[in-house]
Amino acid sequence: MVALDLITAKPEASALRKSARLVANGVPTADLAQRERHADCMAAIARDKSRPAFAELFAFFAPRLKNYMMRLGASDSEAEDLAQDVMVTVWQKAALYDRSQASVSTWIFRVARNRRIDAQRRTRKPDLAPDEPMLLPPEIEQPDSAVARGQMEGKVQAELLKLPHDQLMLLRAAFYDGLSHSEIAKAFNLPLGTVKSRIRLAFLRLRGELDSAL
Amino acid sequence: MQPRMMPHPTPVFSDLYASYAAGCLDPAFALMLETQAELRPDLSRTLRAHEAISGICLETAEQTRLRGGALNEVLAVIDEIDLAGACSCTAARAASAAMDEILALPEPLRAAAIDAIGQKGWDPMGRGLKRLALSTSSRMEVELYRISPGASIPRHSHKGSEYTLVVAGGFSDERGSYGPGDVVINGPEDTHQPIGDEGDICYALAIRDGGLRFTGVMGLIQRLVGAR
Repeated sequence: MVALDLITAKPEASALRKSARLVANGVPTADLAQRERHADCMAAIARDKSRPAFAELFAFFAPRLKNYMMRLGASDSEAEDLAQDVMVTVWQKAALYDRSQASVSTWIFRVARNRRIDAQRRTRKPDLAPDEPMLLPPEIEQPDSAVARGQMEGKVQAELLKLPHDQLMLLRAAFYDGLSHSEIAKAFNLPLGTVKSRIRLAFLRLRGELDSAL
Repeated sequence: MQPRMMPHPTPVFSDLYASYAAGCLDPAFALMLETQAELRPDLSRTLRAHEAISGICLETAEQTRLRGGALNEVLAVIDEIDLAGACSCTAARAASAAMDEILALPEPLRAAAIDAIGQKGWDPMGRGLKRLALSTSSRMEVELYRISPGASIPRHSHKGSEYTLVVAGGFSDERGSYGPGDVVINGPEDTHQPIGDEGDICYALAIRDGGLRFTGVMGLIQRLVGAR
């Protein structure tokens, strides 16, 4: 186990820009078949405690998890321990994974994120806007369509990669690095209002896909 | 109008959910958001849309090489866990009938409540009313209330803001009635006396950044014992 409060540094602006560019240029990403394959691995771990399946997920996710933890400021060895911890949790909780609800990467990110919250404790109290979804009454809707939801993330990813470079960088800083709007404004040297509107704009562009798939 | 034929509501962008997805939201609020999403399919979808973006960021992230033998280190840890797990499973299944209500709560609230019952347990607050302090890594106070039909929470105001999510049943106060999935916000200036609605037992999750300030007799007692 790793000591608490070890992650304090924030990603440098240059690192943020670099990785956004890499994505925009088409870093090898998991396609739909790979995503299915990952979900099959989770099922094999839950059902048979399959070690080959675990090794396959480990090979794909552990280096990405280590990179994520280092992005957040963990040292090489701290990031290594955190990445290993997350993978142990994946093994333990594989039975809780539901492929109709989320892709394996979203599920594993959730585990990593919670691990990071434990390690870091740099959380914010919200500033609730009156139009926050949580405060609005429920809307009328149709029953869930699990099939459509399964395809959602693939479509979102395709759309994400089509975003203009500046929007992609900001989205990543907010949704992945967890920077607040004012931290993003500082890191990218942009006015706060511009940051807010660009992130909103990027999300709204993805929304078309999210909407049709969800 | 044919409301049933309407498409799914479009996930709207929310700073709150983005912050949650990235793991930067205060844990007390994260608990409330997750619990509410279990009760409200529309919010669950919006939450998932935000989380999907974070998940894709991980999928497309750069990679950092692990040290040699990392997989074997992890497999060794797994061996130990599997060995220990085989022994302790049976004890965990010994849940009493009193736990049935708790077991019906949506996750992750259920896990937090089971945890809290194992530690301090319920705190009786008078007829038909008890509360359970939940421990999160937040500095906010987080409590689960169990309100029987007709039971009332003594009139109170708040030192700061109070956010209440109705998890089951319902309650009413001077301003209205609230059912499962509703979130009510009260500021320091609001004084109210919630009463459990007829029907199911009401469970409500409250988080607040200052204590309760009881008015009336309870307030006198509070000042005398110096509680909270």
